Amino acid sequence: MKKSLYETDEAIMEGIRQSDERALAHLYKLYFPMISHFILSNSGTDDEAKDIYQEGVIVFYEKIKSNSLELSCQIKTYLYSVCRRLWLKRLAEKGRYAVKVDDSESFLSVEEDTQHHEEQERQFGVMAEAMAQLGEPCRTLLEDFYIKMQNMQVITEKFGYTSTDTAKNQKYKCLQRLKKLFFATYKPEV
Amino acid sequence: MLEYRTYEQIERYLNGEMASEEAASFEALLRTDARLAGQVQEHKQLLQTMQKFGQRQSLRQKLNSIHAEMEAQHTPATPSGWKVFWNRHKQTVAVAASVSLLSVFGTLWSVQQLKAPVQQQTARYVELRREVERLKQTQTAIINGIQDATKPEAPRPAAFSGTGFAISDEGFLVTSSHVVEGADSVLIENEAGQKYKVTEVYRDQIHDLSILKITDPSFDRFGKLPYTFKTTETDLGEHVFTLGFPREDIVFGEGALSSLSGFEGDTTSYQISIPLNPGNSGGPLLDDKGNLIGVISGKQAGQEGAAFAVKSAYLLQMINELPETSGVQPLSLPKNNTLSGTNRPQQLKKLKDYVFVVKVYN
Repeated sequence: MKKSLYETDEAIMEGIRQSDERALAHLYKLYFPMISHFILSNSGTDDEAKDIYQEGVIVFYEKIKSNSLELSCQIKTYLYSVCRRLWLKRLAEKGRYAVKVDDSESFLSVEEDTQHHEEQERQFGVMAEAMAQLGEPCRTLLEDFYIKMQNMQVITEKFGYTSTDTAKNQKYKCLQRLKKLFFATYKPEV
Repeated sequence: MLEYRTYEQIERYLNGEMASEEAASFEALLRTDARLAGQVQEHKQLLQTMQKFGQRQSLRQKLNSIHAEMEAQHTPATPSGWKVFWNRHKQTVAVAASVSLLSVFGTLWSVQQLKAPVQQQTARYVELRREVERLKQTQTAIINGIQDATKPEAPRPAAFSGTGFAISDEGFLVTSSHVVEGADSVLIENEAGQKYKVTEVYRDQIHDLSILKITDPSFDRFGKLPYTFKTTETDLGEHVFTLGFPREDIVFGEGALSSLSGFEGDTTSYQISIPLNPGNSGGPLLDDKGNLIGVISGKQAGQEGAAFAVKSAYLLQMINELPETSGVQPLSLPKNNTLSGTNRPQQLKKLKDYVFVVKVYN
């Protein structure tokens, strides 16, 4: 069957390294019930469970992508630990103290990983904000060029600029504005 | 346009589009120009963040689609509204519940606290009542408690005293049973100074009556008694009088029959409006014509002019029962009333020899 392809943790990790979306999907479906159960039994909702789980998967995914994961345990345990940590943080933010978590799994300390993730989330939050403030057409222009890596020629045509130079000039102006917006709120942690 | 030029340079440098010599010279420039280096750094960070942001967004989209796909597969058992509600508000509900529990029990507790002194008060009240009860008992029993003189050698004075009167020629007397209660020995003495030793031969606790018999060998006979016993009930408002020994000398008391029932509606006695004192108990109650209508038994505590006397009908009943219960000869009750028609002082003169102070020793 299809599933047998990703029977082991190694197979899944290998699949993700090779940007195999089916591996990611398989992983995602495999452990969602566990995390969902955990969140729901610790005063969370379905939406929160989904949110936290996706964060956890993203942490895991990016660790693999950057080849910085030295997994000393099962993926399951790692995911559980990350999600647990994230959820505790979330609960603390909600102002619910004295949280006693019902643990159904063993877990390990993933402080560093989650902290890195949170820092990134903060960064992305500021970025999303800045992009939203930027407005059109700057936003799409920058997205197309820097994120989607589109050719300057294509962009020129798409936006109806007279020449690539005009487009470049426009892009420069947009980028300058984004820069201002972004660094106005974002201060890299010392 | 200088800035634009710089910007292009930075971009080209970062993208690695510069030729090696150009890149080298740019790097050299970076080392000397701190401001330019900062700009490059910023630019680099901005672009990286933007790119990563883009990647992250696409990853999230991917995950979302996976999630949606998964939910579609499972046709998920969407938890009921209640469950969602419960999960979301579990803690709030718990807090609310504990607060309400706390307030309920707090209220109960404080009410209890408030009630405690009240309870104490009721207890005190009960006690007070009991005391009043006792007081009433002692007051009701009109016994003259004679203070114990502390002379061990002298003959011991009587502990209590009451009044008694003759009911038959043979030496039978009647008094209140509470007078002779717990007696070791009983002596009677009248105004004329005749002293006799008596014993109790019959006691009716319910009607508070006792019959005494003179056991003294020196006693012969009373002679004819001047009064008779009335068998029927007397009318309301009848003038009545009594003789008794609330002190060493005989005391006359007069009043009216104020009620046909006694203490707390007791139908076996009358209420009379004669001022009475301890020591009057057991005294005879007579009407104007000199008929014996009752035996003084007590008065209501804390209420003036409300004294009680057992009706003579019950005394007669007891006298009639006497032969059966105590094995004595039937008494010869007086049949002629020599008091009627005479004025009060005359009546008293005739009467006083038959009224005795009952001294109780124990």
